[in-house]
Amino acid sequence: MAEMATKAARAEAMERMEKEWTEMERVILSRRSVRLYKKEQVPEFMVKRILEAGRFAPSAGNSQPWKFVVLRDPEIIDGITETVVETCKKFRAVLEYRRPGASWRRPLTKAFIRLRHNDLHPVPFGAIGMIADGKLGLWHSAPTVIMIFKDVRGVSNPDLDCGIAGQNMVLAAHSMGLGTCWVGFAKLAFEYTDKWKKRLGIEFPYKYASSLSVGWPIGNPDGMVGRQTHPVDWYENGTKKTIY
Amino acid sequence: MANLSMSERILIPTYGDPEQIQAGEVVFDDEKCSGCTLCAQACPAKAIVMEDKRPQLKPRGQNECISCGDCVAICPEAAITLTKGYHYTAYYKTIDHGDIQPPRL
Repeated sequence: MAEMATKAARAEAMERMEKEWTEMERVILSRRSVRLYKKEQVPEFMVKRILEAGRFAPSAGNSQPWKFVVLRDPEIIDGITETVVETCKKFRAVLEYRRPGASWRRPLTKAFIRLRHNDLHPVPFGAIGMIADGKLGLWHSAPTVIMIFKDVRGVSNPDLDCGIAGQNMVLAAHSMGLGTCWVGFAKLAFEYTDKWKKRLGIEFPYKYASSLSVGWPIGNPDGMVGRQTHPVDWYENGTKKTIY
Repeated sequence: MANLSMSERILIPTYGDPEQIQAGEVVFDDEKCSGCTLCAQACPAKAIVMEDKRPQLKPRGQNECISCGDCVAICPEAAITLTKGYHYTAYYKTIDHGDIQPPRL
């Protein structure tokens, strides 16, 4: 009898899901990276709830290999931004081969890109120039920043666990009507200089993983949009199919 | 069949060459557009410029659209459609994408 009831409940849940998104799906599918923020600060209790969503993220061996640092002092946020801007200017001076008279740099830059193929992918390469020019902010003037540092002693892959915890926080924030953006460029202030590590007391075993800007969005930036489909290989009943 | 040939595994495309670095594309419906500029402000690639109070993509070679859809989502008039994802060549070659689809039930 109990089994029958469960079966009926499951069928009903499946039928409902076929028709409409769950609340969770709606947040996931509508979340857009937000880069336009109001000046108004995010209430402290909301940031604390966001941190709770991060605390309860799954991690390898339940090792929870993260340290969150909340930045709400403009002096620190602007200071780190300035360090990143200065670093971007230096990178651009050495790497940019598209300006007149710099084409001789091209083979050297390409060799360097190949070595640092994640950091110097065409998208961040373009962003380096925009950040150097002040056209693209680091944290986009968000009033709150959550820095994510990894505990390098964590089980298996601490970066991945930090990403999972971070996405929990991002989705929690969007479910409250806040905007967020993953910001990887803050790395430049923690990788090439000790200044901000010292200031924030970041030392072994903690290492920069990523950061999130958090704030009230201008306009209504969240919404469902189109995106490329990807092939998914599906193995079942001894055959393979590919769905998009 | 390998995803990338031996030369593609090594060679880096020339950034700024529209043959090698193809940017994403959006189209604007100028009739629906109210000229509010939110799309241009929201664009992380600064690929949208306002011309005569209407948005347009920067010209080929300067457009660095990453097809993120932020402009599409923020537009209060639903006047923007994402039509093309970005495609790079050589080491950063797009291996296999299908067409652009909204979230599907």
